[in-house]
Amino acid sequence: MDKQTQLNDVIQGLRSAISELREVLIASTDGLAIAHSHGASDPNRVAAMAAATLGVGKRISTTLDLGEMRETTVKSANGQAFLYAIGGKGVLVLIAQSEANVGLINLEARDAAARLEAVL
Amino acid sequence: MKPLKLVVAGPVAAGKTTFVRTLSETAVVDTDEVATEAIGKASTTVAMDFGTLDVGGVPLQLFGTPGQDRFDFMWEILSEGALGLVLLVHGQRPADFPRARDILEFITSRIPVPFVIGVTHQDLEPVWRPDEVADYFGVEHHQAVGLDATRADSAVAVLLRLLALIEEQEGASVADAPGPTPSAGEPGA
Repeated sequence: MDKQTQLNDVIQGLRSAISELREVLIASTDGLAIAHSHGASDPNRVAAMAAATLGVGKRISTTLDLGEMRETTVKSANGQAFLYAIGGKGVLVLIAQSEANVGLINLEARDAAARLEAVL
Repeated sequence: MKPLKLVVAGPVAAGKTTFVRTLSETAVVDTDEVATEAIGKASTTVAMDFGTLDVGGVPLQLFGTPGQDRFDFMWEILSEGALGLVLLVHGQRPADFPRARDILEFITSRIPVPFVIGVTHQDLEPVWRPDEVADYFGVEHHQAVGLDATRADSAVAVLLRLLALIEEQEGASVADAPGPTPSAGEPGA
């Protein structure tokens, strides 16, 4: 199976496991979209923002001596964005409704990030 | 004294991160990531570079931006509250000048602050000289400065030129301002 298919499978898996997901995106650490579900957002902009956010998170982690940076969340009035580091290789972004099940999202997304690390 | 916030912008590989690293007297906060595109270097800034220094008793904060257009939201975030802009261009990459002009336009249309154009890689040949770059951008010759971003004296010279422009503008705005207003002594003023 080629890489793109494997990435799309992971995205599809997340979407079927979590019904409240609006979008899923995988980006490189330098902010380029690698794979994404269909959605309203511009994948290139989301990818760049995810990489920038992860980049700052990493610096916070190293500056405060917190070890490897793993994830960060943006909780807003009308939704939330979850960002997971894919090892040092990329970032997995899940965009969900504000009432979405955070426990399920974390469970599925951490597992997906681990699988993506093997693919990338 | 309140630190003066300056933004360092410019296209990919102009030398922005090097510039901030050379100048900063404190540990630089950088966000370098492996570049997955062919941009002529191994790593690239994805969010910001941050450094601080003191020039002639003036505390300065330098905010370096990412170069790629896809990070233009960071240009906007980092420009907020800035009092001056250093636009760096690679003196051997005239093909990037139009992009540099777009970045200059993007930032100065949001914050109309004084700026200098730093023309990097002046240690190489052939290279565009600052006067030529000033002509290209249609700005006064004293607004473009040549530099080698790896050398502190050379990088500081760019900041001194910018500080002079900021001071000049402040002087002008003080001169333009009306005298003491009648309301100055009124209650609640």
